Amino acid sequence: MQTLVTGLSVGGIYSLMAVGYSLIFSILSFSNFAHGAVIMLGAYIGLALATRLHWGLGLVVAGSVVGAGIISVFNERVAYAALRRRRAPSLFLMISAMGCSVFLENTVYATIGSRFFAFPEFFRREVVSLWGSSLSLLDLFAFTVSVGAIFALHLFITKTKTGIAIRAGVNDMTMCSLMGVNTDRLISIVFFLAGAFAGVAGVFLGIKYLVYPTMGWVTNKAYIAAVIGGLGSLPGALAGGLILGVLETLVSTYLSSVLRDVFSFTMLIALLIWLPNGLMGRETEEKI
Amino acid sequence: MTDERCGERNLESRTEGRPAGEQGPAHLEVRGLHVHYGSIHALHGVDLAVGRGEIVCVVGVNGAGKSTLMWAVSGVLPVTEGSVLLDGVPLVRSGTGRSYGPPRALPPHEIVNLGISLVPERRRLFSALTVRENLIMGSIRRTDRDGIAADLERCFSLYPVLKERLAQRAGTLSGGEQQMLAVSRALMSRPSVLLLDEPSLGLAPLVADALFDTILKIREEGVTVLLVEQNALQALSVSDRGYVLQTGEIVTSAPSGELIENPLIRKAYLGS
Ligand SMILES: Nc1ncnc2c1ncn2[C@@H]1O[C@H](COP(=O)(O)OP(=O)(O)OP(=O)(O)O)[C@@H](O)[C@H]1O
Ligand SMILES: [Mg+2]
Repeated sequence: MQTLVTGLSVGGIYSLMAVGYSLIFSILSFSNFAHGAVIMLGAYIGLALATRLHWGLGLVVAGSVVGAGIISVFNERVAYAALRRRRAPSLFLMISAMGCSVFLENTVYATIGSRFFAFPEFFRREVVSLWGSSLSLLDLFAFTVSVGAIFALHLFITKTKTGIAIRAGVNDMTMCSLMGVNTDRLISIVFFLAGAFAGVAGVFLGIKYLVYPTMGWVTNKAYIAAVIGGLGSLPGALAGGLILGVLETLVSTYLSSVLRDVFSFTMLIALLIWLPNGLMGRETEEKI
Repeated sequence: MTDERCGERNLESRTEGRPAGEQGPAHLEVRGLHVHYGSIHALHGVDLAVGRGEIVCVVGVNGAGKSTLMWAVSGVLPVTEGSVLLDGVPLVRSGTGRSYGPPRALPPHEIVNLGISLVPERRRLFSALTVRENLIMGSIRRTDRDGIAADLERCFSLYPVLKERLAQRAGTLSGGEQQMLAVSRALMSRPSVLLLDEPSLGLAPLVADALFDTILKIREEGVTVLLVEQNALQALSVSDRGYVLQTGEIVTSAPSGELIENPLIRKAYLGS
């Protein structure tokens, strides 16, 4: 039971990361390897707001959401838009994303340095007990916010006009523009949303662990979560994140924590071979 | 392209491809349009004009360039030379302030907002979205709630079956229903020009007949229609005038009745 609770609390953060990554994958069909760097920058923004301006947790999260969202949009405009407009193969976008990731990490190294930072304590180290297992207040808060944010995104995507346009763009971008939608703007909105989720994930990761330039690497786990759930599927990203969190906690509790990542990446490869559409992936449709 | 040659084309298109006796600019006009796919030269200077409220069809065999023409007019495919005009206003401008480089077209979303709406080949519905969501997408740039509701009712009166399918995913509709939805989706933007690319493709003859009937109704509501078809007989029988497109060039244009009677056309396109 304790494993399940711990696993879900880690899984919630994986889900947040996977949702942002999955959103971008679904609309541009490429793996945005710069997503981890945006999460890292989101954490630094949150850290600055918390330590310099002494903002409370709610405001810190909000500030990081906006900041990381803007960084993500800027990232797309500078590094992907030109490639996308001349219909470059998605491999080019992926390589550009890797470049962005290295660029952003090293910019942080060069300016802020490689120091590890900790967030101020937002929660007393208090634990609540839940079904006979203990859970820190932070984990409970992070889990609730993660699931709530993903649910809100789901409502946005299914109920609003902009959300319908995003899903239409995922289905057929050319036809979406022929409905009168400015697809450059639509893509910016998607990157903002992905960045916003990265901001929340960054702050929670930073609070739970520490803030440092390569903290974004943990996003590899988000890629796995997204593959488990089915690339491009939002409910899939949520489920994938939670499942991965629980499985990893099981492995590190009952086998060895050293084996945890070996297990996760083996699972990634196995899934890509035998279940490439994941649990809830959409069937890949032919695009012209 | 130099200004002189531009002038030349102007004159050309004034003398041909214009319904007799019409004054002022055509509703939709294509002038000297060239389109390339990389090194493949798909359209070699296409000229055509569609008067307000006319139904004009372009017939041609596989690979003649019919779809290329439609995508270029919609702004999806870049144009290498020539122009598309709506009410005499160019949608493709030769690079402003530049003496070199290809002409720059308006992006597709701006062209739709000016009133040209495309029903593409093979429909290209948002298959994962519901019928209702597809219709919402058609009207996504409009803000006049009452107008949207009225247009929705007009679509339902043209195609009553859609009303029963509103909550169904578009990908699960039958071929005929998908084509009805594709036309309705295009109408929901309240276009003044409707472009139809092979609407009868893959439909049973009776279903195709019904669809062509609705095209006549759509025209009665004042919409100008440019129709592209391989199914030449049916297309010519609903249209006022026809053009024959052959390997990227217009080879003949005449009132549809004359084209149907023309023995050469009958042999090449009507299979008799
Ligand atoms: N994406 C593309 N890349 C390269 N060449 C293309 C492309 N699309 C079309 N073509 C070429 O352009 C020419 C015109 O094609 P287009 O699709 O416009 O013909 P069409 O008249 O619509 O034919 P169909 O009746 O089969 O729809 C053809 O020779 C085709 O091979
Ligand atoms: Mg075609």
